[in-house]
Parts: sequence; C-alpha cells; structure tokens
Amino acid sequence: MATIAVPLGAQAEQQEAEAIRRPALSEYLRWSVDHKIIGVQYGVSSFLFFLIGGAMAMGIRLELWTPELDLMVSGAAYNSLFTIHGTIMIFLFIIPMWAAFGNFVVPLQLGAKDMAFPWLNAFAFWLIPPAAIVVLLGYFVSPAEAGWTSYPPLSTLFSGDGQTLWALGAHLLGISSIMGSINFIVTILNMRPPEMTIWRMPLLCWAVLATSIIAVMATPFLAGALTLLLLDRVAGTTFFDAAGGGDVLLWQNIFWFYSHPAVYIMVLPGMGVLSEVLSIHSRKPVFGYRMVGLSSMGIAFVGFTVWAHHMFTSLQPELRIPFMITTMIIAVPTGIKMFSWLGTIWGGKIRFTSAMLFALGFLSLFVIGGITGVMLAALPFDIHVHDTYFVVSHFHFVLFGGSVFAIYAALYHWFPKVTGRMMNERLGVIHFFFTYFGFLFTFFPMHIVGMLGMPRRVAVYAEGFQAWNQLISLSAFVLGFSTFIVVYNVIKSYYHGPIAGANPWRALTLEWQTTSPPPPTNFVDDPIPFEEPYGYGTEASAAYLDAVDEAFSRGAPNPASGH
Amino acid sequence: MAELTADHLPAVAHDDHGHMSEEEHNNNMKLGVWLYLASEIVIFSIMIVGYIIFRINEEDIVAQAHEELGVGLVTANTFVLLASSFFMVMGLRAMQQGNRAGMLRWIGLTALGGIVFLGGQYIEYSELAHLGIVLGFDTASEWSTFGMRFYAPTFFHGAHVFVGVLWALEVLRRGARGRYDNNPIGIEMFGLYWHFVDVVWIMLFTLIYLV
Repeated sequence: MATIAVPLGAQAEQQEAEAIRRPALSEYLRWSVDHKIIGVQYGVSSFLFFLIGGAMAMGIRLELWTPELDLMVSGAAYNSLFTIHGTIMIFLFIIPMWAAFGNFVVPLQLGAKDMAFPWLNAFAFWLIPPAAIVVLLGYFVSPAEAGWTSYPPLSTLFSGDGQTLWALGAHLLGISSIMGSINFIVTILNMRPPEMTIWRMPLLCWAVLATSIIAVMATPFLAGALTLLLLDRVAGTTFFDAAGGGDVLLWQNIFWFYSHPAVYIMVLPGMGVLSEVLSIHSRKPVFGYRMVGLSSMGIAFVGFTVWAHHMFTSLQPELRIPFMITTMIIAVPTGIKMFSWLGTIWGGKIRFTSAMLFALGFLSLFVIGGITGVMLAALPFDIHVHDTYFVVSHFHFVLFGGSVFAIYAALYHWFPKVTGRMMNERLGVIHFFFTYFGFLFTFFPMHIVGMLGMPRRVAVYAEGFQAWNQLISLSAFVLGFSTFIVVYNVIKSYYHGPIAGANPWRALTLEWQTTSPPPPTNFVDDPIPFEEPYGYGTEASAAYLDAVDEAFSRGAPNPASGH
Repeated sequence: MAELTADHLPAVAHDDHGHMSEEEHNNNMKLGVWLYLASEIVIFSIMIVGYIIFRINEEDIVAQAHEELGVGLVTANTFVLLASSFFMVMGLRAMQQGNRAGMLRWIGLTALGGIVFLGGQYIEYSELAHLGIVLGFDTASEWSTFGMRFYAPTFFHGAHVFVGVLWALEVLRRGARGRYDNNPIGIEMFGLYWHFVDVVWIMLFTLIYLV
C-alpha cells in the first residue's frame, strides 16, 4: 500500500496544482491546436447547426399542418427549405459532431498527449465556419432546391446560384472531413501506448478508425462528383447533361458511392459510443469484443458495395438483385452489434443514468430503423414505397433514433470529463422522455402515411393524410421543445453542476484516469491501461478503480460511487 | 489491495517520452501522406473511369482527336516529368548522405522539371484551343463531348504539378536553412507526392494519348 501511494499521490497533487482549472471560454473562440479545445469547438458549433436545422424542420412540419401551401410562398420555397435542412443536419451537424467526440475522447483513450497532427486538426475545424457561411449564404441568395442529394438535372438546370455555393461549401466540408480522418487513422494506429494492442483498444477507437477509413476512401468520390457538378454549373461542361453527351446517372452512382458509406460515417461512431456506455453503465464487459471491433470494419467494407440500392428505380433491372443481396448482407455485422449490446447489458447491474437511457433509446429505435432498412432493401417493397414518407421515416430512425440518441448518450457520458461537472440527472431523464416519445410519435406514423402513399418532398398533399400529418407535426414540436431542456441542462451544469471528480462512472478506459477536465498534456505521466478495456466485475478491476479514486479524489463527491 | 501490483496502476512513471520521438513523428508523417494520396487516387479515378467509358463509346471522336493531338510535344513533356522524379530521388539521397548543396541542386532541378511540364501543357492547350477543342459544351463543335473529358483530368493533374512546384520551392527554402540536415522526412513526404503525380501522369498519358 505504502509503495503505491507515493507515485500516485505525487501524480495527483501535481495534476491538481496544474490543471483542475477549466479553459477560459475565450480560448474556445481562438485558434488552438489542443485536441480538447478543438473537440469542444466542433461540438458547440455543430450543436448550433443542429438548432438551426431543427428550427427548419419545425418550419417543414408547420407547412405540412394543412394539405395546402400556407407558410411557404411556393413549392420551390419548400424545396429549398428541406434541402437546406438536410444539408445542415448531415454535413454541418452529424458528421462534425462525431469529430467532436472523436477529438476529445480518442487521444485520451489512447493515453496520448494529443492527436498525431495537432495543426492539421485545428485547420480541419476552421474550414467548417467558412463552409457553413457559404452554404447558408446560398440559401439566402438563390437557394438550392434539389434536396441534399442534389440530383442533376435538378441541381444543374433548375437550381439557382445557391446550388453552386452549396457545392463549394460541401467541397470544403469534405476536405475538412478527409483531413480530420487522416489524423484519426494515424493517431489510432501509431500512438497507442505499448501495452495497448489493437485488440485492447476501446471500441470507440475501433469505431472511429472504421469511420475514418470510410471517410478517407469515400469522401473523395463526393469531391470528384462536386468538381464535375461545379464544372457543369460554371464552366459549361455537360458531364451530367444527356443533351450534351453526358450521363445523368453518373451523378447518382458517384454520389451514392460516397453517400452510402457516409451513412456509416454518421452512425458507426455512435455504435462505438453505445458499446462504451452500455458496458460502463451496466458494469459488465462488452459481449464479444473482437466481433464488435471487426463488425465495424465489416460494415465499412460492405458499405462500399451497396450504393445502387438508392437507385432501384433508375437502375438496369438485372443489377437490382445483386445490390439487394449486398444490402441485406450488411445487416449481418449490424446484427452482430445489436446482439453484442443485448448480451452486454444482459444480467448486468444496470444504472439508469441519462447516458444509459439514451443508449437504451438508441437500441430500441435503431433496431426499427435497421429492420425498415432491410424492408427497403427488398426490391418489391422498395418499388412500392419508393420516394414516400416510409423512406423519410427509415432514415430518421437511423439518423435521429440512431446517431442523435448516441450523441446525447455521449454528451451525458463525457460531459463530466469535458467540464469537470456532472450534468443534472433529473433534467436528463425529463429530456430523455420528451425526446423519446416526441421522436416516436413524429417518425413512427410516417411509416404508415408512407405505405398509404404519401410522397416525400411535397408541400401539398392529399387531404386524407391531414390527420396523420397533424399528429406528426404536434409530436415534432414536442421533439423540438425537448432540445431546449438539454441546452438548459448543459448551461446550468457547466456553472452549477456537482464536481465530477476524475472517474464518476468508475470506468476503466484511459480518459477517466486523469483529472476532469484533463490537464493540457492530458496525463502527467504515461498512463498504463488496465489489461482489458471493459474488464468490469473482477477484483483486479475494482482494485485498479479504487487506486484511481484514491489518487484523484480530494474530497470530491462521487455521484456514482459503489460498484 | 494487498496484491496490488504496478500493472493495476493507472499512472506510474516508467520512462520519460513526453514528446514524440523522431521515429514516431516520421512514421506519422509518412502514413499521413500515404492516406492523403489514397484519397487523391479516388478523385483521379473518377475522371479516368469517366474517360474510359467515353473512350469505349465514342471511338470515332477519340480516333479523330488522336490525329489532331499528336504525341510529339506530350512525349517530351512526359520525359521531363519522369526525369524530375529521378532528380527527386537524387535530391533525397543527397540529403540522406548529408550533402545539403547537392540536395538543393537536385530539388531545384525537380522544380524546374515541373515548370517546364506546365509550360508544355500551356502550349498544348493553346494549340488545342485553336483547333476548337474547348472545355464547355458547344453544339456547333464536333469536339463538344471530347473537350471536357480531356481537359478535366489533364488540368486537374496540371494543378497538382503546380502545387508540387510550390511545395518544391518551399522544400528549397527550408532546406537552405538546414531544416532537413538531421531529418529529411520533409523531403521524403514531398517525394511521395511528386512520384504520385508522376504515376498519375503516366496513366493519363497512356490512356488519353496512346490507346
């Protein structure tokens, strides 16, 4: 006992002297190469875009309250509204939001002092504000009307100059995403401590690695397609114009060759978060750790073979069946994860923290989104519900019920590490119930109106759908309101939350083996990871966690103590 | 608690590598450049595949284009670019042997090769413009569908050569100050990029001018 107390005590005192101090708010507004600052910069800015995109969704739902045009002056105005809603949510919210958690957590989980390329990291972030300005300016100049997928000829012959700005902005965001991902891959492959083999790496790192590989290999397809689109719009080429010897389907092929893998960019990190949160908050090792890590890679790989299922109605008929099969195959690695999560919490000592509630919310909603995904992969069914609200419902179940719920789980889980304060659990639970039921009653009925035949992307619809749409809109407003609860909670907890201490959840991964917030160099000494990242429930892990508690607690209340 | 060993401790001072070692740093840099080049391959391959499909479907236009294009100038240009890759290798080798002056000479030649290549491309573009081969679609021109497929990849490649020349000049500036005397990784990274640009050109040259 005495032999270990000395180095640990010295470490803790040193760290306390150096760092329990939080960075001043002004540091977040400046150029910084510290991955922890950059992580928060990513997080706060993408959350702001979430609020903007969410306000637009409220506008969409308001318009759809009645079957006629009322809020919008024209169908074109409605087109540009959902176009900018989708663009913001995907390119400015979900993708950079995962860069936020990746940036803050991954180097800490690896016991590294920073990312491999700190300067590149900052540069990738600072590409986002100008890109966002370009995209948003486009909306006010003469908006893009072609949906976030920007199919020609809608995006070449019909949309205004806003479409050009949209393409430029998306281009910048793609470059930012590629640079960020190169940084993650190098960091994760090269900067682990010697004790941490790739099979002892936390699953968030596995997920971010798989995501980054997809981003590096797929995003250039978007870049190439956007380059050709820009040439078509600005330089008079006709790559996508059949009248000029071009090919309209070329865009759909290249775009989905990027964008289908990109849906895994949007959800794989969330799956990593799930493995972390479910294991830590139910005090059990991750079930089938290796298979979970490998299934991330499997999804990344198979994700490149399914793109044409977005084009079932425009594809040569003989190619449909192969893409139907690959699409169904991708449900297998996803299913492995599902069963791993269930196996992880099975018989565990579950604590219903806010993070855990959102993780369980993800489980229940993502499984619906996954199943509707397999339904949509089935060709006869897809032809029937093609371009209806069924599709809208499907991708909101995976992107909101999946990604956003995982983002909230990650927020409640890592907020104490980022700020040194706990979030308010009661507000967290209230937030969860409003979000969960608001979500469910917004998006589940869309399956039904979709199967009844209500097309997506229209402002004027058949009167028979009005009752459903009013239910959907009302629930959407509840869902929109729920966002304010978490905003209030974050601000309140930042100033008045209880002190978190180093390791409030008694977690074994390395980000918790340092002060909250961590000092500028993350760790005073090189940390030694516990032999299993999720080895909960053993005496050795309890001893490790007690040693951590002892080293870092200087009378700080530990809200999650007891194991 | 009694059987607590050092293995269980979250943080114990074992050895002091507070900063990245030079080897780690070099490995990170090289892997980063490789990943960057992997993403570049994707962008080029879109344009290359686009050209191949065109080549298969529109044999007549391409045959006619080959007649007009000629391979004299572009062959010379290709040779210059290949030679510059050789200069690049020699420059890196010189630096690895501690010969700073030699490195500056060879990298200077590399940059010169890039500039000559761009000059050749400029001359070629002007000649083609006189023939009426332009980027934009023009219903009046028989070339209308060839121009964009030719200019997009070659210009995109030319832009990469241009960036490479700027990078070479930066390497020269830093090298002259002794930046690479102990660790030539910066030259090596530039070399990877330059060889990549060269390889892409060999593909484009073969596809567009030869077959």
